[in-house]
Amino acid sequence: MVLGAETVFIVDLLAIFAVYVIVNLSLNLEFGYTGIPNFGKVLAVGAGAFVAASIPGRIFASLAGIEGDYISDNLLIVSQINVWLVDNVGIGFVVFFLTLGIAAAVGGGLGLLTSYPAIRLRGDYLAITLLAFGESIRIIGNNFTPLVGGTLGVQIPDPLSFLPNEIRFPVATLGMVLIAIVVYVYSERMIRSPLGRLLRAVRDNEVAAESLGKNTTQIRIKVIMVSAALAAIGGALYAFYVGGTIAFAYDRASWTFWPFLMILIGGLANNKGVIVGTLVFVTLRKLIIYFKDSFEGFVPFDVVWLDFLLLGIILLVVLLYRPQGILTEKPTPTIFPKGDSKTSEGFWSKKLNLKKLKRKP
Amino acid sequence: MAFDPIFSDAIIFSSLLALLSIGLSLTYLTTRVPNFAHASFATIGVYIALIATRVWDVVPYLAIPIAFVISGLVALALYHFILKPLIRKGASQAIQMIATLAFDLVVIALLNITADFIVKTFQVTSREFTLRSYDGEFMGLPLIVFVAPITIAILAISLHIVLRKTKFGIAMRAATQNPDLAETVGVNVKLVYGVSWILGGGFAGIAGALMSLWFLGDPNLGPLLIPSVFAASIVGGFLSIYGAIAGGIFVGLTEVLGTRFLAGEFGSWLIAYRPLIPLVFIVVTLLLAPRGLAGINWSRLRRNGSRS
Repeated sequence: MVLGAETVFIVDLLAIFAVYVIVNLSLNLEFGYTGIPNFGKVLAVGAGAFVAASIPGRIFASLAGIEGDYISDNLLIVSQINVWLVDNVGIGFVVFFLTLGIAAAVGGGLGLLTSYPAIRLRGDYLAITLLAFGESIRIIGNNFTPLVGGTLGVQIPDPLSFLPNEIRFPVATLGMVLIAIVVYVYSERMIRSPLGRLLRAVRDNEVAAESLGKNTTQIRIKVIMVSAALAAIGGALYAFYVGGTIAFAYDRASWTFWPFLMILIGGLANNKGVIVGTLVFVTLRKLIIYFKDSFEGFVPFDVVWLDFLLLGIILLVVLLYRPQGILTEKPTPTIFPKGDSKTSEGFWSKKLNLKKLKRKP
Repeated sequence: MAFDPIFSDAIIFSSLLALLSIGLSLTYLTTRVPNFAHASFATIGVYIALIATRVWDVVPYLAIPIAFVISGLVALALYHFILKPLIRKGASQAIQMIATLAFDLVVIALLNITADFIVKTFQVTSREFTLRSYDGEFMGLPLIVFVAPITIAILAISLHIVLRKTKFGIAMRAATQNPDLAETVGVNVKLVYGVSWILGGGFAGIAGALMSLWFLGDPNLGPLLIPSVFAASIVGGFLSIYGAIAGGIFVGLTEVLGTRFLAGEFGSWLIAYRPLIPLVFIVVTLLLAPRGLAGINWSRLRRNGSRS
């Protein structure tokens, strides 16, 4: 059985969508709800991918007793590991989830590091500092070979090697979508909790929140750490999905600018908006790449730039004409008014504003 | 003549950084938004120099005024069509920064399209090119080694004269320090801001046109250069033109000569980490002395120094 082109297209789209949903939800937590302009989102994402690239392969190699330098003999070792993984499915999964855990921990640690400037600086100075933090990860990854193989990159063993090729990617995609759903539920519950309201209080008026006895410093540190851990999980999943990591793929545009674009198009501080924005963006980009060949003859340049041009203009238009995005921020319902939510009639009359409709002229 | 090329490198790089940093400060002074597209304005200058030299067959230095005008107009477009409406709508600073990032993306895309167009139409290398061979020579050194610092000096002095002596310059300083008050006494703040953006973008364009004579030109130069430009501006204090010059020279020299020195001490593997230097400058300056060189109270330091 060979998958059709459409199926491959949709499976790939969903996988990238799931990764970006995780990263964007984490950015929304930071920027949308708490107001920390994290222009260095790529730091946590890259860290997660680097963990996925450097740790599980080495664990597998030592478990399977494969000799050799992991970086210089990478292709050979990874193909041996993949053969070995066919018979060791359980270990494969344990190490996979362990890697996600390590990625989250490393991300959280880097989050703690990023929170150092984030509790001391505000506004543009903070954004520039975080941008500098984010830039550094690519430079280090590109040059420090033992980490992710420098400019050549490394391959990552696939814990799903036991599956036949045709269903491996659909299964991987399904897993990623499930993880994205878990992250969505987690972040949605966090936003609806008292903590979520505190985040918005910090964003809207830090002094007022402080005057009510809230520890805004601590809350900023917490949010940055949680969000970095989530982003690192997203990065690790992406690395596993594409089956390799190369440092220059973790640049400012892909993992800082695109996420900002998606949450701004979808709607800041609205997790449903994040989903919508991500879907719009990922589909648009995929379609441009998909139909690239049919454009090629008509324009005298590489079509990739059309994509940049289009997305840049879309973002500018959204910022100028609909700054709140497709879906706007809504007050979160915490407690339903008494007797209103219990009966379906009361709920719907509230939802649809039936009273207004019933009123006779 | 034994003149290590690294010194030419250092002189040119730090002069250009100073020029870019002056431009960035000029725009930051007005709208208080760090312009992420600033370095791409310089890339526009690089391509104008390329077109002037390879397509029109003229001396590359003739590209300087054209680059000034075009980059200035692009900067004005960013201010007038994007930042001004955003500010009017009360968008936060972070949103304005994202808008400059988006504008940068558009400029980079257009530059790449231009580069592809140049290759296809004129069969001229338009990526990773250098115009060094089109430069003149003076005392056994390429002309640019002298032209770059002299240009900075001329521009800085004329800017100083404009800001201090002319009516327009005084209006400009008033408008940046207190726009409301300036408006009440009849200064056209919007016009002044627009001129600042033209000057800021234009300076970046000049830097780009000069840059093409020494460094490799590429459409994606902007994002690579922007950390150094920010570092220079931040070290200089971001709000001071003179600080920007000092910061540019300081960061530029450190980046080139510091890397060379450290590589000599610890081994050549360090050279690849050169892009980390501006990042370290940014982080250290913002955390320890957020107002940069311009914020240090030199007279007090001197007094304390003489007392001890």
